[in-house]
Amino acid sequence: MWIGLIVIALVVLVPIAMIAGIYNKLVTLRNRFKNAFAQIDVQLKRRYDLIPNLVETAKGYMSHERETLEAVIAARNQAQSAEQKAAADPGNGDAMRSLLGAEGALTGAMGRLFAVMESYPDLKANQNMMAVQEELSSTENKVAFARQAYNDSVTSYNDAREQFPSNMVAGMFNFAPGELFQIELAEEREAPKVSF
Amino acid sequence: MNFFEHQEVARRNTGRLVVLFVLAIIGIVALVYVATTFALAYAGALDVETGIWRGDILLYTALGVIAVVLGSSAYKIASLSEGGKVVAEMLGGQLIDPGTADLDQRRVLNVVEEMAIASGTPVPKVYFLADEAGINAFAAGHSPSDAVIGVTRGCVEQLSRDELQGVIAHEFSHIFNGDMRLNIRLMGVIHGIIVLGLIGYFLMRSSVYSGSGRRRGGNDKGGGVLAILAFGLALIVIGYVGTFFGNLIKAGVSRQREYLADASAVQFTRNPDGIAGALKKIGGWKSGSKMRSPQAAEVSHMLFGAGSRSRLSGLFATHPPLDDRVRRIDKTFDGEFETGPPPRPRSDEELAAAFAPSTAAAAEEPAPPALDMVGAPSPEHVAYAHELVEGLPAPLLNGAREPFGACAVIYALLLDDDKAIRTQQLDLLGKNADEHVLFETRRMKMASEELVRAARLPLVDIALGSLRGLSPRQYAAFRDNVTALVRADSKIDAFEWALQHLVLHHLEPNFTPRKRRVAQYYTLRHQGVPCSELLSTLAHVGHHGDPEAAREAFERGARILTEVDDLRLLAREECGLSTLDRSLEALTALSAPLKRQVLTAAAEVICADREITVLEGELFRAVADSLDCPVPPLLPGQPLA
Repeated sequence: MWIGLIVIALVVLVPIAMIAGIYNKLVTLRNRFKNAFAQIDVQLKRRYDLIPNLVETAKGYMSHERETLEAVIAARNQAQSAEQKAAADPGNGDAMRSLLGAEGALTGAMGRLFAVMESYPDLKANQNMMAVQEELSSTENKVAFARQAYNDSVTSYNDAREQFPSNMVAGMFNFAPGELFQIELAEEREAPKVSF
Repeated sequence: MNFFEHQEVARRNTGRLVVLFVLAIIGIVALVYVATTFALAYAGALDVETGIWRGDILLYTALGVIAVVLGSSAYKIASLSEGGKVVAEMLGGQLIDPGTADLDQRRVLNVVEEMAIASGTPVPKVYFLADEAGINAFAAGHSPSDAVIGVTRGCVEQLSRDELQGVIAHEFSHIFNGDMRLNIRLMGVIHGIIVLGLIGYFLMRSSVYSGSGRRRGGNDKGGGVLAILAFGLALIVIGYVGTFFGNLIKAGVSRQREYLADASAVQFTRNPDGIAGALKKIGGWKSGSKMRSPQAAEVSHMLFGAGSRSRLSGLFATHPPLDDRVRRIDKTFDGEFETGPPPRPRSDEELAAAFAPSTAAAAEEPAPPALDMVGAPSPEHVAYAHELVEGLPAPLLNGAREPFGACAVIYALLLDDDKAIRTQQLDLLGKNADEHVLFETRRMKMASEELVRAARLPLVDIALGSLRGLSPRQYAAFRDNVTALVRADSKIDAFEWALQHLVLHHLEPNFTPRKRRVAQYYTLRHQGVPCSELLSTLAHVGHHGDPEAAREAFERGARILTEVDDLRLLAREECGLSTLDRSLEALTALSAPLKRQVLTAAAEVICADREITVLEGELFRAVADSLDCPVPPLLPGQPLA
């Protein structure tokens, strides 16, 4: 009779304990990559704060390039609003993809601005401009580094999500895949580079 | 009481906890046995006539209960083994980024940073509980290396800087007094008992379902189902009773530690108004210290203030009554909590002015030895830390506050002053790290020209806090680079050793699974080899090329460790910094009072010439750190022991 008890206990309890354990592990990993996004986020914000500064300085020298400057500002505003949505919920794939798109566009617009700036040696020698550019490139480096850490933690979450048996738990409780922070390589190459 | 005695008390409390836990298991086994026999007798599977004493049933129930309780306790403790961040994440905490633009959050980070530097530990990560309006805070983790501090929105927004400092000092005292490890074990133990009740719940549920399915099968099965139902109910009751007593134990342990932490907070800040003000504010604030998160009950004993406002008997309160806590700090308290507008917070200047007289007084009479300050920073240290942080070159400070810059800061500190070696080191770095890090490292090296020597380790403390944000892959690369930089000049000096040791000692537990602590040693008698290695190496490092002075320094230390068999000065060739690593590794297993003895001896050897350089202070700090004893920065003119 009470062999039956043990069997019932095992049949009921072992799967429940396993599911609870896997569920907790997935939640932990998801929280971890969301927290890792904060590291990127703070640098992106810093970058959005610097860009108007740079455009303001550039305006004085390159009044003929209004379109380029406006394009940068528009792209920056779009990226900023996408960033706010993504920061509210880094686990949301759509928000993250739209941020990535906006970031790609911003990087492209900045690249064009820097290309145009080549023909304004006075602007390039401007003290304020040099300071902002230095700040910007340092921020870019930090974004790159934080991105690496974020992608590592997203990868370990996604791996756990896809492996057996945790993939079953992930399916049961709707664990959405995490989005890697990867900006299109073609535009990456145009990222503002300051030679040192 | 000092750090070492507190550690010892925490260990004894843990021992008491284990005894209570064993008693609880025995009681539970007995109860489950009774429930089982009754259930079986009811189901007719047990012949009542022959007596209800059945050894085999006792054996099986004992095995079952022990497996369930121990198993789920071990599971819970293991799931918390990754350190404090697990607890913070469980409560829905978000990491406060050091680059935050939010002034209130920035202030919390500053206060935490100062307190960490003042006590000589890596700056803990701070988590923000945005959904909690109550004024509360907690510290969680196993050791200072993986500790985190959590603060609620109420705590950040309602408290003045002084009050915040009191709360943070209270949390640091939990970190130093060994409470965090005790707290995590408490969580595990209670979890094991709760699971028993959960099993009963599932059994009842499943028997109800299977019962409705089987009803058609025949009447003789009805008794069995009823028996399972009753058995499940009994398990639930036992689980509840167990949890009841578990909570009683938890509350009893926790209340004592809260008084202690309050007292320590006053000792660290010498400002009773700070912590008393925070407690009074909790009393007057509409949300009090209440926590909304459903997980808060599980960690109630880790919180600054009671997480729920239960009106139940004081026996279950994890925290002493508020007015009692205030009265122990502020004798004049009339029991009326202020509900009016908060008093104007004191500005940093006023704060500095408030500290000034005590700093001046400290300069006249020599500060107590550094060893007495282990895990107990004084207000002078906090003021000193404030000054140090203010005086750090901006690029270094900003760099150390985020992971990318923090790597570069550590690399820059390891760069040699000799140009040839430095070029070689930079080449190495260029090969292994990417160009951005190399560029940043050069920038940091340039900024570090203005860095005073005494500020180097505090800077490392700040960097260590950020470096915990590296991903495991980034950490592996960082560790390799640090090792390569240290070895580049084929000779390791004391500062390089101290830096490498601090960095690895504090970061490793965050990235690799925790090593199980080996059994503790309660006698020094058989520690001849590691003690000889430690004291000999320190003697030779301090007096290179002067064997007579080294012997004399060694003798001074040896006089303290009279208990040790076979303590002898090793020849210079036998000692190296790798010997130091090995001996410290062995000595971590000592009990707290023995660690104190060894550290006193080490301090005697290091400052045998009665003159302490910054380097010697750093060396001592690294040695003490490896034994998990945080040493505050040396104040001018302060002896080691």
